[in-house]
Amino acid sequence: MSFLVAFNWGWIAGAAALGFATGWVSPISRVRSQTRVNLRWTIAVVIALVALSLSRQLPGRPGYWLDLGLVMFGAYLVAACVGSWLRYVLLVRPGMTRSDET
Amino acid sequence: MSAFSDWVRRWWPGVIPLAVLWVAAAWTGTGPVEQQLTARTGAVLKESVLDKTQIEVSGRDVRLSADAFSEQGRRAAVDQVASVPGVRLVRDETQLIAEVFPFNWSVERDVVHVTLSGNAPLPAIKARLLEAARNAANGAEVVDQMALARGAPVRFDAAALLLIDQVSKLKEGRLSLAGTKVELTGLAREIGGREAISAALKNLPEGYTVEKNDLRAPPYLFQINKDPVASTLVLSGYVPDNNAHAAIVNAITRKFVGEKVEDKLKASAGAPQGFMAAAMLALKGLSRLSTGTLTIQDRNVKLTGDALYPAASEQIGEELASKLPQGWKQQAELSVKPIAAPVNATICQQLLGGLLGKGTIRFETGKAVIDPDSVGLLDRLVEVVLRCSTSQIEITGHTDSNGDAESNLALSNRRAQSVADYLIKAGVPSERITAIGFGSGRPIAPNDTEEGKAQNRRIEFLVK
Repeated sequence: MSFLVAFNWGWIAGAAALGFATGWVSPISRVRSQTRVNLRWTIAVVIALVALSLSRQLPGRPGYWLDLGLVMFGAYLVAACVGSWLRYVLLVRPGMTRSDET
Repeated sequence: MSAFSDWVRRWWPGVIPLAVLWVAAAWTGTGPVEQQLTARTGAVLKESVLDKTQIEVSGRDVRLSADAFSEQGRRAAVDQVASVPGVRLVRDETQLIAEVFPFNWSVERDVVHVTLSGNAPLPAIKARLLEAARNAANGAEVVDQMALARGAPVRFDAAALLLIDQVSKLKEGRLSLAGTKVELTGLAREIGGREAISAALKNLPEGYTVEKNDLRAPPYLFQINKDPVASTLVLSGYVPDNNAHAAIVNAITRKFVGEKVEDKLKASAGAPQGFMAAAMLALKGLSRLSTGTLTIQDRNVKLTGDALYPAASEQIGEELASKLPQGWKQQAELSVKPIAAPVNATICQQLLGGLLGKGTIRFETGKAVIDPDSVGLLDRLVEVVLRCSTSQIEITGHTDSNGDAESNLALSNRRAQSVADYLIKAGVPSERITAIGFGSGRPIAPNDTEEGKAQNRRIEFLVK
């Protein structure tokens, strides 16, 4: 993992930046939130892919690409959460508190 | 907080650009990743003892193919590759090289090649053997037909290197190892080469034995050419050592009458057993020839030339056939020198005097038995006597002053008679010969020195 991150840190950083931006703009985005059913399916697929990666069943280049994709996807997701959370913490929650106080 | 979770569930719009990033990362990064892992894997295997090593990296997975020389080494190599940072999986396609028994190896020499074949236990040892072969080949092309295999006996490399060192002593042949058994066949380059190789192989590592030694040596040649015109003896070829050399030169001085010696003999090991006895016997025969060549090749004695009279030819052949050491063969191709023109008594006397001036007829000390070294001189005397067939020959014996006069007289008488008997046996009519002894009564030099006494101990021929 460390070799993967060290070798592809630029691409992973790009994926994280993309995720952060997606998370940051999500409040003003017009896209719909993922339904609970879709979310479950997404989680199931990701778990299956992680299991495939950990079990090292996919050999050679496809195996490497899967690992790389999962790392980038993980970075994207984490950064998206961070983006949304930061917006929530910095912009939304203070506003809610002030309105609650008034 | 419900707003936050609602926002998080809007993560998916970035997935498509993420996928584009992923494809780009895979597209540009896969090759460099594989190159870097190949380099790292190669570096960690640098110290491993492997043969036919192949490293193939696909993604982060390494396929390792190699021939290992021990199970321990094979496992260590696989573990080393697995521990390379970044390697995900190792596909182990290593195998142990074949184990052979017996462990055969050989070095073979022909005119232009030195060929190493059979098995070698390790690449490093194989390289050392090839290097040693190149040093020993003296310009011949070194051909490597060795295959790597397990099962070499202990100290195989030392034994093989010792055999390679012997290649320079071979003209052609094969030195081989079958386990710890050494076999030698072929032809040594020089006289003594076979013995040198045998001596060197005494340093084989413990446990190694010479099972078969069929090395042949070049013919051991010893030759003397007697040229009566130049009155020269040309000695060529080999003698066993410097002592033998001196003994042969000394024998020639005693047996031959007045010939110059051109000595080209070299001392070398490898003489057949009984060489000196055969050489001395053959020298005696050659000394009785007018012209001739003596050739000793291994255990074959060949004597060619012209005897001085018919009886001598027979005697030389018979003596050579009967007295050679066991296992020796002889070939006497002798003819008889044509009888020279008859001479009168005066010339006959001059010729006999000339011969006796060059050499002395010797006897065993205190006896009347003719020394075999004197037969060459006697045959020349016979030849001259046969030419003056109308003359009477008086043979007189003389001694020095040692001993009492009576016994000296008897001894000189017997010695003169022995010479007369020799001449009669050679074909001189007995009625032409008389033998008389004068004891010490007619000295030709003072008897107070050894030189003077030696001059007084003599046989004289008087032609009447």
